[in-house]
Amino acid sequence: MEDVKRLEEIEVERFSRFDRFVHWLTAVPFVYLFLSGLGMYSSKFSWLLPFLGGREFSPWLHKWAGVVFAIGVFLMFIRWAKDFMLDSDDIQWLSNVKHYIKGEEEKLPEAGKYNAGQKVFGWLVFIGGAVFLITGIVMWFPESFTPAIVRLSILLHEIAFIVVGAGFIVHVYMGTIGVPGSLSSMITGKVSALWAMAHHPKWFRQIMGR
Amino acid sequence: MATVTTEGTVGLGLRRVSASKAPDQNIKKSDQLAILVDISSCIGCKACEAACAQWHDLKPPLHTEEKLFTGYQSGPGLAPNLFMYMRFQEVEMDKGLVWAITKYQCMHCADPGCLKACPSPGAIIQYTNGIVDFDHSKCIGCKFCLSGCPFDVPRYDANNKPWKCNFCVDRVSNGLEPMCVKTCPTNALHFGTKEEMLIRANKLLEGLKKRGFDKAAVYDPPGVGGTGYIYLLPHGDKPEIYGLPKEASISPLVSLWKGPVKLIGSIVLWGTLLGAFLQLILFGPIKVGKKEKKEG
Repeated sequence: MEDVKRLEEIEVERFSRFDRFVHWLTAVPFVYLFLSGLGMYSSKFSWLLPFLGGREFSPWLHKWAGVVFAIGVFLMFIRWAKDFMLDSDDIQWLSNVKHYIKGEEEKLPEAGKYNAGQKVFGWLVFIGGAVFLITGIVMWFPESFTPAIVRLSILLHEIAFIVVGAGFIVHVYMGTIGVPGSLSSMITGKVSALWAMAHHPKWFRQIMGR
Repeated sequence: MATVTTEGTVGLGLRRVSASKAPDQNIKKSDQLAILVDISSCIGCKACEAACAQWHDLKPPLHTEEKLFTGYQSGPGLAPNLFMYMRFQEVEMDKGLVWAITKYQCMHCADPGCLKACPSPGAIIQYTNGIVDFDHSKCIGCKFCLSGCPFDVPRYDANNKPWKCNFCVDRVSNGLEPMCVKTCPTNALHFGTKEEMLIRANKLLEGLKKRGFDKAAVYDPPGVGGTGYIYLLPHGDKPEIYGLPKEASISPLVSLWKGPVKLIGSIVLWGTLLGAFLQLILFGPIKVGKKEKKEG
């Protein structure tokens, strides 16, 4: 019991200053991109555009937010692609993801610094970000491309929106109420050693030198 | 705002509105308007082009010595300040040289691709008489209408707003014919209801066939539900020599992104949100639980 109390008080660094900066450099534009994109994607949400600066302004800012987002995703890729490589444990983790949803992490292979779900979301962002960027440039300058390429780009941009958008909803849910302690880790950079032991045992042993 | 088309707008004579449900048309029906372009009577004088610019108060691009454009045409194509232009093309055919001259502008499709592609409620409207028009006050400048159009018509200006022929809707709604029709010195342009224009086109077609143009045809592409501009083409088997697509229709990619993909998107995104909520209420947050505390 004493041990646990001690672990709860120990703070370990999970995200460096650079990590946090890159995360929010990507996340803040993405929230704007998601909402303004939703307003353009669906007429049922076109009421969002006036709240995001105006019906003409928000599609304009959408493009520039996209540029910042793309830079963020690129930096994330450099920083995390290596860490997000999937191994056989991760495959097993993913095929038994129902245990995670039920909150029975102990029935899953022990996670390292990132669990398989986080890794998959990372790749979703990397690949989705590339699709958003390439198709977004085409949509920005439709007069410079053939109509078929522009039409295909709009379709791919929408598909990427659906896939990454769904991942984003899960990510926000888990980062805030789904897994308590996650949000503060991306703000302060620190988690408790107990949190690390519970969610990322392999990483916990690494950093605690056990 | 997505419901621009409440019952009230029927009074304005709207048949379709972008990104909105089409208003019910049962109360009042209008005749479809059409312009018949009889290519066989056109002498390529460009009077319609000048009249169009004059009525709409446009100053079409001038071709300076630095940016010289040579040829019969006034310019390379449509521009935000050039709603229509005459296309000239010399084509070698079996019976010799053909000078294909066409009046080119928005076709006013019965099923407009621009309107279908437009995500902004009310930015593109189709009146009950078939005229397709843009409402710049509702346009968000996304340029999707370019992708929707099978005829490559809308042109964006420096304010990021699209322009095209509006069938002189201001004149037409006051009982006048469109400016190009009024000006045409050879009666190559006819204006009236679509029904009338088709009858007239078919009569002229017979005459053309008697004169030896056995491939002559009326151009009224069914892929877009027919058009507000119909053409009598002496070489109807080859509309592309007149710069008109042989099979004009809205791209299936546009239909895909406006239809099934939207439905799948709604299911996936709402489903994900619901899934997250269910996880919360059924299993609760994934906390650092009492288990660890006990074990410790």
